[in-house]
Amino acid sequence: MSKLNATDIQGFVLRGYNMPYARYCFLHIDDAARSRVLIGALLKGITTGQRWDDGKPPSTVNIAFTHRGLVSLELPLATLLSFPVEFQEGMRARGGILGDTGANAPEHWDEVWREGRVHIWLGINAVSTEALEARFAELRTLIEASGGAHILDCQDAASIVIDGKVTLKEHFGYTDGFGNPDYAGVCRATQPGQGKLMPDGTWAPLATGELLLGYADEAEELPVAPIPHLLASNGTFMVYRKLHQNVGTFREFLNKWGARYCAGDHAAREKLASKFIGRWRDGTPVETSPDRPDPAIAQDPNRSTNFTYAKDADGARCPVGAHIRRVNPRDAFGFNGLLINRRRITRRGMPYGPFAAPDEASPELDEVDRGVVFIALNASLSRQFEFVQQQWIAYGNDARLGNEKDLLMGSHAPGEKYSIQGDMSPDNPPLFCTELPNFVELRGGEYFFLPSITALGMLAMDLVDPR
Amino acid sequence: MANKNGRVFGLTLLCPILNDEQATPSHDLQIRYYLASLPTDGASPFAIAPNTHLARLVVMDDVIYVGHPAVEEHLKSKYLVFEANTDVDLEPYITGLAQSVPQHIDAIWSHCAGYPGLSDLGAFVRYMKACQVPTTFFFAAVNDKSVTETLTALETKRAVAEFVTAHQGMEPAEVQREFAAFVRELRNAPPPAPGVPRFAREIKTGGHNE
Repeated sequence: MSKLNATDIQGFVLRGYNMPYARYCFLHIDDAARSRVLIGALLKGITTGQRWDDGKPPSTVNIAFTHRGLVSLELPLATLLSFPVEFQEGMRARGGILGDTGANAPEHWDEVWREGRVHIWLGINAVSTEALEARFAELRTLIEASGGAHILDCQDAASIVIDGKVTLKEHFGYTDGFGNPDYAGVCRATQPGQGKLMPDGTWAPLATGELLLGYADEAEELPVAPIPHLLASNGTFMVYRKLHQNVGTFREFLNKWGARYCAGDHAAREKLASKFIGRWRDGTPVETSPDRPDPAIAQDPNRSTNFTYAKDADGARCPVGAHIRRVNPRDAFGFNGLLINRRRITRRGMPYGPFAAPDEASPELDEVDRGVVFIALNASLSRQFEFVQQQWIAYGNDARLGNEKDLLMGSHAPGEKYSIQGDMSPDNPPLFCTELPNFVELRGGEYFFLPSITALGMLAMDLVDPR
Repeated sequence: MANKNGRVFGLTLLCPILNDEQATPSHDLQIRYYLASLPTDGASPFAIAPNTHLARLVVMDDVIYVGHPAVEEHLKSKYLVFEANTDVDLEPYITGLAQSVPQHIDAIWSHCAGYPGLSDLGAFVRYMKACQVPTTFFFAAVNDKSVTETLTALETKRAVAEFVTAHQGMEPAEVQREFAAFVRELRNAPPPAPGVPRFAREIKTGGHNE
């Protein structure tokens, strides 16, 4: 394949910035011509995928558009209609397919997401709050001066700090951010377990077209993309979902079932927590180390994602329905993993809200505004993100679990259960958790198109021509 | 062997639909309307009649011309396609349909050319045999279990899961006692009715997601 032009691809696509602070700004377009001028002004500051040879910058900025946003920019109709249907419809309209019903339905969403008024996502990442505020002030001045768009709302997110140390934890206490797929040409160094499984047991990067538009994907086809080609190429689609976490409910549930698991002590509770996700709270994969967390494994890139499930078909080590086994089944469905290579997504999410001290456990913890801003990038929203959400999070058939859903992410109905397979050892008994509450609630979100630098220039100069 | 995959029988019938220019609406439209309004739950004819794993009734209008350089061709007639996975061979299966849901059979097949009616069962079976297309490679939706075995297995799985969740953590002797009673009850339970799922799946399907 051809070498990627990193200067033409937004940096957010090619790498996780690993900066502890973020602010996501949501803009509404008021005037097409002035917004084009605004995009032109923003363009100079958009962070690309170019290498940071002089060290990390203090902050980054990236930009993406909803379909309504592109309509408001008055793109040609032939171009607007060429976008994939799910992107045109937007996340709210896809609620039936995504299972965003009940507590996750749009009437419970934050105000900004309810009316489909968001047109532009501006994402700032920063190494410090000072750098974040400085960059935000700069952008706000540009936006206000343009008269083309205004900020509807902002969402702050930040890495969780524990004992003064920036961590990769999320609010349920798990270390997150392992295991993004490797793609050909995108990753400078690949990590075993991150790409696709080859017949000889090694791992290779996924086809570039699973992430970026304009390149061949795993089926050796070009992903469905808008016309003209130049508008789509080097761009991708982004899923944004604000997921509230009911921390009180989670801790109470873990305490209740932890008391009934193994010896019922602290160690049992931690083991149970590991069986929910498929990783111990420090990130050690349960498949690799089923009895205890092992920091040496969790911190070793050659081992932290390098495992398969074929020898654990019954789930005695890592439960068949554990979160990481559901969303990335690796070889669990046979055929050397071929069934999953077209269902991978890249995650760029971050936690938001204050971390609750680990010894607290009360229902009031649910009321605090905290959770994770889930951001996923993929070439096809429908084939990748929506499939994973519908078939692997909200259903269990592929994993031979019938109607069982993902324990932590699923929207549960009465009568559902979560099965933890075990073996004959007293230290690894089976357990069926019942009376499942909802641990996570959707507070809004949308689908975005994240264009290349060239495409941003085309938008700014009104040069999008589908002919 | 044609039409068999283990114990499962693959039925494929092509029945020509009457071409009567006087009929309003045409016979194929009448079949379509009737099929579209058939129930798909426990009241489905295939739930009422025995031995059906899966059944599809489709009206085939014609072959589709896809443009040059393909040659434009047409069928001599419109056809009713009947495809089913069944526990028994054609003759007992068709006989079962005729005996259990004669009103549906009449309503559908009376629009087909040469349909003899149901008053002479032998003539009806001979008619359906004449429409049969032997197939060695058919859509097999099931493993090698009968309809009753499959339904019973699903119910057993559900009941066992329910028993386990209700009894985990109990004293072994008590679990054993309750389990013996549970097994007796399960063994004596009638097989579950077909076409009646125990769990509703409310998610919207479609698109690229199935």
